[in-house]
Amino acid sequence: MKYAVFILAIISAACSRPQKTVNEVVAVSAAKLPMDPADRAWDNAPAHIARMIPQDLVEPRLMTPSTQQVTIRSITNGAEIAFRLEWEDPDSNDLPGPAKMVDACAVQIPEKIEKDLPEPQMGQEGKRVQVTYWRADWQAAVNGRGDTIRDIYPNASIDHYPFESKPLEPGSGEQKEMAMLYAPARALGNIRGGPRTVPVEDLVATGPGTLTPGPPLGANGRGVHGKTGWSVVISRRLPEGLAPNQRSHAAFAIWQGAKQEAGARKMRTGWIPLVRRGS
Amino acid sequence: MARVNNWQLGREMSYWYPEARPQKQFAAVFDTNKCIACQTCTLACKTTWTSGKGQEYMLWNNVETKPYGSYPLAYDLKLLEMLNGQQWNGNKYEGQTIFESAPAGERVLGWRPEQQDYAYPNVGEDDCAGQVDHGQFLSLPHMNWFFYLARICNHCTYPACLASCPRGSIYKRPEDGIVLVDQGRCRGYQECVRGCPYKKVFFNPMTGTSEKCIACFPKIEQGIQPQCFVNCIGKIRLAGWISKPGQVRADNPIDYLVHIRKVALPLFPQFGLEPNVYYIPPIHAPVSFNKQLFGPGAGEAVKTYRNAMNDPDLAGLLCLFGSTEMVVSRFSRQGDSVTGFDERGSAVVRVPLREPVHVRPAVDTKNQLVRINCP
Ligand code: SF4
Ligand code: SF4
Repeated sequence: MKYAVFILAIISAACSRPQKTVNEVVAVSAAKLPMDPADRAWDNAPAHIARMIPQDLVEPRLMTPSTQQVTIRSITNGAEIAFRLEWEDPDSNDLPGPAKMVDACAVQIPEKIEKDLPEPQMGQEGKRVQVTYWRADWQAAVNGRGDTIRDIYPNASIDHYPFESKPLEPGSGEQKEMAMLYAPARALGNIRGGPRTVPVEDLVATGPGTLTPGPPLGANGRGVHGKTGWSVVISRRLPEGLAPNQRSHAAFAIWQGAKQEAGARKMRTGWIPLVRRGS
Repeated sequence: MARVNNWQLGREMSYWYPEARPQKQFAAVFDTNKCIACQTCTLACKTTWTSGKGQEYMLWNNVETKPYGSYPLAYDLKLLEMLNGQQWNGNKYEGQTIFESAPAGERVLGWRPEQQDYAYPNVGEDDCAGQVDHGQFLSLPHMNWFFYLARICNHCTYPACLASCPRGSIYKRPEDGIVLVDQGRCRGYQECVRGCPYKKVFFNPMTGTSEKCIACFPKIEQGIQPQCFVNCIGKIRLAGWISKPGQVRADNPIDYLVHIRKVALPLFPQFGLEPNVYYIPPIHAPVSFNKQLFGPGAGEAVKTYRNAMNDPDLAGLLCLFGSTEMVVSRFSRQGDSVTGFDERGSAVVRVPLREPVHVRPAVDTKNQLVRINCP
């Protein structure tokens, strides 16, 4: 009995161990980036808890605050940097559809380390920001969700797609070309849905409404939804000039699909100092 | 917000961007009195443009039975309820548009249909405005009523879809006023779906972008009317160009019907978008209902239309509906026939005001046979 009490005491002490928090985002060094959000290596990085504010500067604004805070940890291997973002959101929203928004998060970093920071809200003309954006439906696609309407609506029944009918041979170049005629966004390389190799996207912006694909920064990510919310790892190339013990800044954004958040309707942080620790 | 002129409201209004009318504005007139709800237009569009994955539920063209039909569900009712007071003073709108009544933090007053709202594209089909009581069939015409309302994107002068997009992914072509979603730029936020009061932008879950009617621009660029026009069984549709206010031409079919005879009216002008599909109101629906849908001119429009048989120019022009595949930019009536011209001034169609009537006697004495009516 004594033992049982002792073990319970250890477990509860471990669970309630006060989180070591810091007032900036500190990227600690590791040989390997832990891409799994549950990797114990994340325990070595101090947590920064950032309060979030609604995007209420440009229309459409988020009028009702949702996600209160995001817990951020960061690790770098000297070439790349990874962030783990954790926030409360009991519902996992990873199915897109009419009026169905998906959960998402993003990390924003100034393109250059400068004394005068860009506007925290998507940067500004002449002061570009780099955004690495993760989305729950892309994660589902990477995890193996198929690229058919039945993967979104399991009971859908479709009579006929002209680009999947005879005499076109399935998978032939001719067949694929015709399918593209019916998916104009994909034909233009705007891959918002469908098959993906990574659940994230490299973007740049110079102000609200200017977000656009940017030079590839090797973005990658992995998100897992647990009982209370999301835990998402986002990685990208180390920001230019972020040498050991140097400072840049980062800002974060969270979208909750269940609350119809998308685009400008989001919770965000201001700029938070980002320090690369170590040698 | 900028101040812009909306002639359909008889006043200036607030809009997200300054007034920038295109060089030419695509426009159309639909005669509700001739539509038979065969949905050929719906299918013509569907097979041409929306047979792709994620487009299964989309109907860029739909035909609904009024008063109860709507697609998506209650698209009109919902916004009419949200939009307080829609008073007109003569031809001047004294209520608020969806731009003027945008709540704090929003670009327009809007709402986003749920998935289920798209589940019944023909809800209310052929539902009458009221119970047809016992014996009523003996006392026609039309104690109770319904009519068919064919709808496409209105390629509005002040599009709410365009104003709603925070990324500027929607544009209005300066050459023809056609409103398009840039499929390379759209990020699928669905703000346009929320903003368009006619619900004519649709989110494609497979491509992750929003898509809408393109007015068959590859055809329009060649002077040919869109698919839903040329396939229309009831010949209810006429595509063309509406002139800017103050530059109206009497020989322009759309100008003549809209600006000069005022027989064709916009759908829900009170929303404030200056939509460019114009409707000849149904002659048998109550004038109050027609006014809610088509504005204060609905009563007069019905009178003018009813008198068309004594009005050769109007009758002649109505005969041009569905008579040619080409866009008719100019028309002229000479005696008992009417001619339509394309933009280069070439005659593309000529039709008589009255088709000759041949009466064939029931008994053909010459051939010694009796004719019967075959359905
Ligand atoms: S009808 Fe709707 S989709 Fe079409 S232009 Fe107007 S606002 Fe945009
Ligand atoms: S094809 Fe013409 S008549 Fe048939 S439903 Fe469409 S608009 Fe009406």
